[in-house]
Amino acid sequence: MTALVRSELLKVRTIRSWWAYLIVIVAFTGLAVAAQIGSTDGGDRGTVDFQSDLVETAGIALLLAIILGITIMTTEFRFGTVTPTFLVAPARELVIAAKAIAAAVLAIGFALLALLVVAVVALPWLASVGAETHLLDGEIGTGAAQQILSVVLWALMGVAIGAVVQSQVAALVGTLVWIFLGETLLIGLFGLLDIDGAAAYLPFQALDAADGSGGGELLSYWPGVAVSLGWIALLGAVGVARTRRRDIT
Amino acid sequence: MIEVASLSKRFGKTQAVSDLSFRVEPGTITGFLGPNGAGKSTTLRSVLGLVHPDAGGATVLGVPYRELDRPLHRVGAVLEASEVHPGRSGRNHLRVLAAAAGIPRSRVEEVLALVELSTAAKRRVKGYSLGMRQRLGLATALLGDPEVLVLDEPANGLDPAGVRWLRDLLRSLAAEGRTILVSSHVLAEVAQTVDRVVIIHRGALVQQASIAEVLAGAQGATRVRSPDAQRLRELIAAQGGTVTDVDDRTFATDLPPERIGKVAAANGIVLHELTVERATLEEVFLELTAGETTQ
Repeated sequence: MTALVRSELLKVRTIRSWWAYLIVIVAFTGLAVAAQIGSTDGGDRGTVDFQSDLVETAGIALLLAIILGITIMTTEFRFGTVTPTFLVAPARELVIAAKAIAAAVLAIGFALLALLVVAVVALPWLASVGAETHLLDGEIGTGAAQQILSVVLWALMGVAIGAVVQSQVAALVGTLVWIFLGETLLIGLFGLLDIDGAAAYLPFQALDAADGSGGGELLSYWPGVAVSLGWIALLGAVGVARTRRRDIT
Repeated sequence: MIEVASLSKRFGKTQAVSDLSFRVEPGTITGFLGPNGAGKSTTLRSVLGLVHPDAGGATVLGVPYRELDRPLHRVGAVLEASEVHPGRSGRNHLRVLAAAAGIPRSRVEEVLALVELSTAAKRRVKGYSLGMRQRLGLATALLGDPEVLVLDEPANGLDPAGVRWLRDLLRSLAAEGRTILVSSHVLAEVAQTVDRVVIIHRGALVQQASIAEVLAGAQGATRVRSPDAQRLRELIAAQGGTVTDVDDRTFATDLPPERIGKVAAANGIVLHELTVERATLEEVFLELTAGETTQ
């Protein structure tokens, strides 16, 4: 299993798009932090609330983690490399498990990188304007830890979706459309049917709850994590079954 | 060594393989032949556990492929030269698979040298020619130093020098005692290399034999030259033989030379030539797999 995970990590690192992930995380997080600090009044910059919002700018890592998860799974089908992969490891469920672990490891890296960018941009800036910093306080630290776990959940969700859909384009486009449009429409539909409460259990509403930022209609933190894991397990089980049954031609 | 038993597989409306059985004996090079679309790849992919047969099955080294321990060390396979990520270098492609199989990095350099790809190893596969991809595929198959090799159309895309290089490589691999199953739709590519052939057509077995047996079983023509060819032609036709004229005094017939000699002697006809013309292996192959386009 360790060998399979190492192989999966090597697969990601030996493709140039690996650098694109890192560059996007650094660039977007850096810009988001700078924009947020630059557009806030001096007095508010020293508050805990403002600085927890700063930590949330690391959220770009969520989107990249789910794209990575989907790609780790579907690239193999796209380029046919799934053939040599399954020749080395005929137990296909182990390959998917190795991909999930590799995606989780890389997701932690993404989250840490994004948080590092937040710290590198925000700490000297806040110090230079004389604002009190809370970024290293316990409360914000918890928020950051929740954010890291949340990025891992998004990566696992990506692997599970990839295993179910298998076509790279369909999985990527379908997921983005679902996130930005599908769930919103479903929430509206649930409202019409008078079952508003069910909306919080939709996969990306649960994932939203699990990043710790909270929100009116969302589940609270731990139920959010639990429901997210439930969706990942369900999709993962379907994905494993589909992948095991598939003829690799 | 490799045993396929009553294998059947249907894709939608196409019966790719039907009730196919054959054996590959240890230490031999077996050619797996058939026209394009005969079911060769489906069969090989079933042997390697990639395709689920509808009925029957296959074993490698006595067990189904999926049950092999450390399969890359037992069986090496190349199925399609294009099954490589175009953005990855040849060396990294091998390193990824070596990592998964627990094979040391030094072995990657060994197989790169063996297939003469060391100088191109750091280039991305996107820029490889088909021949270079075939070599990379062979390197993949040899990573685990396996005792069994399964190669699907490895000569595709190779230039004549490459085909010759492949032939020499396969011979030296077989001389080390390995068992090799190599598929092709062009008999000439493998005829000089293989010990035995398994010929399939439309998913079913046509013949499983040594090259010599295939040739012996082929129907040859008899070439006859006689100053009295016209009369002999009529006599042969009366015996039910077919006659194809070559020139005024020479013709070919499907009757064996013994019958011709007897007819000529009984009627006092002088013969100037009576020879058997063996069909070439290629002709036999085309005959055995005729009608591929009339599906």
